Amino acid sequence: MSTVEVRAVRKVYRRDSEELVVLDGISVDVPEGDFVALMGPSGSGKTTLLNLIAGIDRPSAGTVTVAGTELSRLSEGELARWRSRSVGFIFQFYNLIPVLTAVENVALPLLLTKLSRAERRERALTALKLVGLQDRSRHYPRQLSGGQEQRVAIARAIVTDPAVLLADEPTGDLDARSAEEILELLETLHREFHKTIVMVTHDPRAAHRARTQKHLEKGVLVA
Amino acid sequence: MKFLPLIVRHLRHNWVRTTSTVLAVGVCIFLVCTLQAFVQAIAFNLKSANDSRLVVRHNVSLVFRLPEAHRGRIAGMPGVEGVARVNWFGGIYMNDRKKFFPNFAVDMDEYLAMYPEYQITDAARSALRQDLRACIVGKETAERFGWKEGDVFQLESFIPNYRKAEPFEFVIAGIYDTDSVKNPGTALTLMLFHYKYLFEGTEERCGIGTFSVRIKDPSVAVDMAHKIDDTFENSDTPTKTETESAFRASFVSLGGNLALLLNTIGLAVTFSILLVTANTMAMAIRERRTEIGILKTLGFSNRQVLFIVLGEATLIGLLGGAVGCAMARVMIPLLPSLPFIGDAVRGFPGLGLSPPIAVLGFGLAVLLGFAAGLTPAVLSYRAKITSLLRHV
Repeated sequence: MSTVEVRAVRKVYRRDSEELVVLDGISVDVPEGDFVALMGPSGSGKTTLLNLIAGIDRPSAGTVTVAGTELSRLSEGELARWRSRSVGFIFQFYNLIPVLTAVENVALPLLLTKLSRAERRERALTALKLVGLQDRSRHYPRQLSGGQEQRVAIARAIVTDPAVLLADEPTGDLDARSAEEILELLETLHREFHKTIVMVTHDPRAAHRARTQKHLEKGVLVA
Repeated sequence: MKFLPLIVRHLRHNWVRTTSTVLAVGVCIFLVCTLQAFVQAIAFNLKSANDSRLVVRHNVSLVFRLPEAHRGRIAGMPGVEGVARVNWFGGIYMNDRKKFFPNFAVDMDEYLAMYPEYQITDAARSALRQDLRACIVGKETAERFGWKEGDVFQLESFIPNYRKAEPFEFVIAGIYDTDSVKNPGTALTLMLFHYKYLFEGTEERCGIGTFSVRIKDPSVAVDMAHKIDDTFENSDTPTKTETESAFRASFVSLGGNLALLLNTIGLAVTFSILLVTANTMAMAIRERRTEIGILKTLGFSNRQVLFIVLGEATLIGLLGGAVGCAMARVMIPLLPSLPFIGDAVRGFPGLGLSPPIAVLGFGLAVLLGFAAGLTPAVLSYRAKITSLLRHV
């Protein structure tokens, strides 16, 4: 069974009378528990495809179904609720909230649940422990290294136990050693916790960590 | 309430900007409250005015004197119960303008009969009749200078006609008080003395400033005022007669629209601060575009983001309102003791921050914060995640 089903998706941006086709009739399946690397040159549509799977953008044509939910049928509010439950997003630049500590950043998605403050904190600490940063829970992002910040971001992505983890160049802003640590962490999440992961990357070494690799070029899946 | 810690964290994070914005709102609210306190004090002052009392003055200006002959003619008109001469003396105590209090030369018996709200003892009335230098002083002025019955003091007028070689000497016959529930707005700062004392002391040069006229039927006050003015229309000294409240309003406001002016200033100040706060909020939110994109990506709905931005702006307004009201609470009662300002405001009885003004100021601050946050909140609500994250 596929966790992600992308069917004949087109994404067209319009600027004045000009049309820019970013995705041109793409169909992709990501089976449950798979770890997929989306590769391709800049402008090939990787991030756009990831955004469509995350439900933060809508296709011009075609359907995207994630964890059994067809996203085009959802209103903006329903889509936001769906995102909070079903998707964990890891950004290239970590994107932690600077005014919150590590544990508060991780607990942020849990604000949208009915959990009590203590329960939210407990779950956030568990997630931080999983990424090996339990001793940094009270640190602010500015007090952490890039690799640590990305691990906090991963903890935030997994804290709600989503159906799919989406990572957009998760090692793009890291040195080689930190990048290695992050990739190991993603592998662990895939291997031991059977997380479905879709990762956009330029880096062939990162892509080799994934179980499946897919290549995009000019908005079309080539392999 | 779940989002409150997030809102507070943002405000604390940029504490210099937050503090300056809160202070700007606070000063605005303080000014609005102070101006409103003046408006209220003016209205309070007018409350003590009575439509059964008319004030007659020279048609051209208060500076010009009225002839003694007018008094008899007014007193003889049907519907008139009493007439008293009243002259603003302009006396300065100890040659120090900071120690100013309003003082008037009046026909004492007629005047006190017209103003039963000025309550004095029988002993004071008796003392008033026995000594031409005798005067009565309002409770607040007596307390201000530590005066008691029998005390002697001197005043020197700054009006040339009322000046003589020596200052006028007065003996306090009594200290008047009032029932503030029955007679709200009654000034307790006045000093009243015998017109005859001024008349003789100035060798009959003082003239008459105004007549206070008591009429039988307050419902015909305006008609009576017209009748008096019509009587003297073709004389050398035509008159202008008004009800006491109209006279005070025009005298206090000098233009009749002081309250409107004060309210307009308050609105202008509020509008300026609204623009400043709105700009600050817009800047604060523009700096956090990515963060708003992250919140939306994590599953925060557009409505929740709107609530967070509006909450932040409203909290600034709320804090500003608290600061402004606290400043007003402390500062307004101190205004009469300040140099320059004090002289101008001392004549306003009941000057202070009343609960309705505090509520108005606080409500205005919250509204101001809410309005300042509205545009950035709506823009955040509408913004697409992909465009918010584009700057990453």
